[in-house]
Amino acid sequence: MSRAPGWLRGDSPGLVLARRSLALVALCVLLLPLADLDVTAADPWHELQRMALGFAWPNWLALESPLQAIALTVSVALWGTFLGALLGFPLALLFHRSRLLRGFCAFIRAIHELFWALLFLQVFGLSAITALAALAIPYAGIFAKVYAEILELTPKAPGDALPPGVDRLSRFLYTELPLVWGRLASYTRYRFECAMRASVLLGFVGLPTLGFYLESAFREGRFGEAGALLWLFYLLIATLPVWGHRRLLPLLLVGALFWLGPWPAVDGDLLWRFVSHDLWPAPLLEGDIVGMGAWLADIPDLLPAIGNTLLLALMGTVGSLVLALLLWPLASRHFGHRWQRAGGRLLLVVLRSTPELMLAFIFLLMLGPSMLPAWLALALHNGALIAFLVARHADGLTPGMPGLPASGRYAYELLPRLYPNLLALICYRAEVILRETAILGMLGVATLGFYIDSSFEYLMFDQAFFLLLITAALNIAVDALSRRFRPREAPLDDPCSR
Amino acid sequence: MPLLRFEQADLGHGAQVVLPSLDLTFDNGEHVALLGQSGAGKSTLLGEVRRRLHARAAWCPQGHGLVPLLSVYHNVYMGRLERHAAWRNLRNLLRPYPADWQAIETLCDELGLEGLIRRPVETLSGGQRQRVAIARAFYQSRELFLGDEPLASVDPHQAVRLLERIHDRHATSLIALHQHRLALSHFDRVIGLRDGQVVLDAPSHALTLAQLDALYPDAAPAASHDGARAVSR
Repeated sequence: MSRAPGWLRGDSPGLVLARRSLALVALCVLLLPLADLDVTAADPWHELQRMALGFAWPNWLALESPLQAIALTVSVALWGTFLGALLGFPLALLFHRSRLLRGFCAFIRAIHELFWALLFLQVFGLSAITALAALAIPYAGIFAKVYAEILELTPKAPGDALPPGVDRLSRFLYTELPLVWGRLASYTRYRFECAMRASVLLGFVGLPTLGFYLESAFREGRFGEAGALLWLFYLLIATLPVWGHRRLLPLLLVGALFWLGPWPAVDGDLLWRFVSHDLWPAPLLEGDIVGMGAWLADIPDLLPAIGNTLLLALMGTVGSLVLALLLWPLASRHFGHRWQRAGGRLLLVVLRSTPELMLAFIFLLMLGPSMLPAWLALALHNGALIAFLVARHADGLTPGMPGLPASGRYAYELLPRLYPNLLALICYRAEVILRETAILGMLGVATLGFYIDSSFEYLMFDQAFFLLLITAALNIAVDALSRRFRPREAPLDDPCSR
Repeated sequence: MPLLRFEQADLGHGAQVVLPSLDLTFDNGEHVALLGQSGAGKSTLLGEVRRRLHARAAWCPQGHGLVPLLSVYHNVYMGRLERHAAWRNLRNLLRPYPADWQAIETLCDELGLEGLIRRPVETLSGGQRQRVAIARAFYQSRELFLGDEPLASVDPHQAVRLLERIHDRHATSLIALHQHRLALSHFDRVIGLRDGQVVLDAPSHALTLAQLDALYPDAAPAASHDGARAVSR
């Protein structure tokens, strides 16, 4: 007779993944004491109550020029995505040919839209160029990668059926593009939704999109107005299939051109000076290697900032994992009654459509400055996003044994089939979470973003640029690490999870 | 005059040889049926013939190889893609050329695809797709027709008519199929493959159905197996 195996012993794939995930959770718990999680606000519940009241009774009359803000938000998102796709598509065709190009794309997408905005702000001011470049540049890198992955999966049969001697362009247009068009279009559409969120966020650096009015309303405690703006934003996202219909897009694109602005006068000399001189450390430009040491030493708290960024990203990832595990049954057909499910789905959609920075900002006003609001925001937004995708996956499964109790259905029928996919999603998301972590520094959490923001504020462009490079390098490293950690047996066929 | 001759040829994909030391000759003006179980090497042989005779052969691949999102017209037009400049093909995607449209419509009508020329291929039935794939091969207008199971998804009645059209338009043909009666009634010569070997090569008038059925040794045991299962149930 053999002995029953001990805790978590065994070689089944489920147990391997469970051990791996628990190790990650254990690492997070171990490092948690290093994080600053104090609640410094005097009365967080009172603040929450006032915000909830503002959301429940939005003050529509207080809105000054909501249509203008909406038009600009949509215009920036639309043209930012369009230009990104226009730049990204040719890159995608060459993506698998050149290592250099892959590195370049990884670099430009590793820097968050808001950081690009901060960078361009210095040269082009609060203008349409800043807003469009901030979206189009990182999106070109993302499109290049995802388009290339989609193109790689083109079925080969129609191309093989062609008579020999067909030129490359005709071959592509007749037997490749039509086969992947649907997937390319649906990914571009998903990216446009992300662009809507990013476009709102551009308000946080001063561009007059919806986020600009949201931030000032929240900051000044005008919660009725903030509630109205939030409702507007959700309405905009919910009605996207109507106003963003395929047939309306050309019209929208042309109309958006009139709303974009202002267009700055570009000073070539200033731009060249910025790129060739301001962004680089003075000792480096003078060839003074010893001076570089002193320059590096001048950067405040570099190592703690990196440590905080990584710690918050780890906490965000583990938090998302735990929340996703708890939340996905809310929106799945295997659990609950119809009304419960509708409510759960609504909750998940609202959480995933609210930008993390906005969530973090709300929690920050409630709880005071520490890592706690940032953690909550990261975990809630990403956890809800993954829970939603997992629930959709679960709805496609049919349990083999009918009539199991809910806990049995969850633990025996569904989770073992869903978990590899869930973990793979978390691993893809880890890179996004790290990028968001950096950006949360702009709210005062001591991550790299905090120092980037303040370097820009003090016009120390060389320092800001150096920190941006570090952020990008961290991002690329974490992406490589999570790709290694990701379960191999769960290939993600849905690019819209990134 | 022989069209093509294999002498002690090893055919396969890369290092993997499917048809070792093959000896075969094909003549001009001959309609040849290629029989054998799946995996016997029919597709490998057809692929190699296509590679050697590419400029003279119209090709109708297994599983159609159509583009579901494009219309019937564009799928058929693809048969002549290599004969036009890229810009012309590009314009044709946006607005079909009237002359090509007429030619392809005539071809579709002839194959029983009346009124379907504008339809995306994804909305067609299996039999209709099959006929689009044959129309595309016809549109290539070559002297030789190479087909890898081009009659797999049509009913027996249609299969006869399609096969007659294929033979009307092409002096020479080499077609893989599973319909044994058709092989005897509509072809000049039958080649049987089994496990990478040519086990049968004779004029069709000299063959019987039983000889062809012997090419499928798995068929009989599988049938008795089913029978046994039915009894035990």
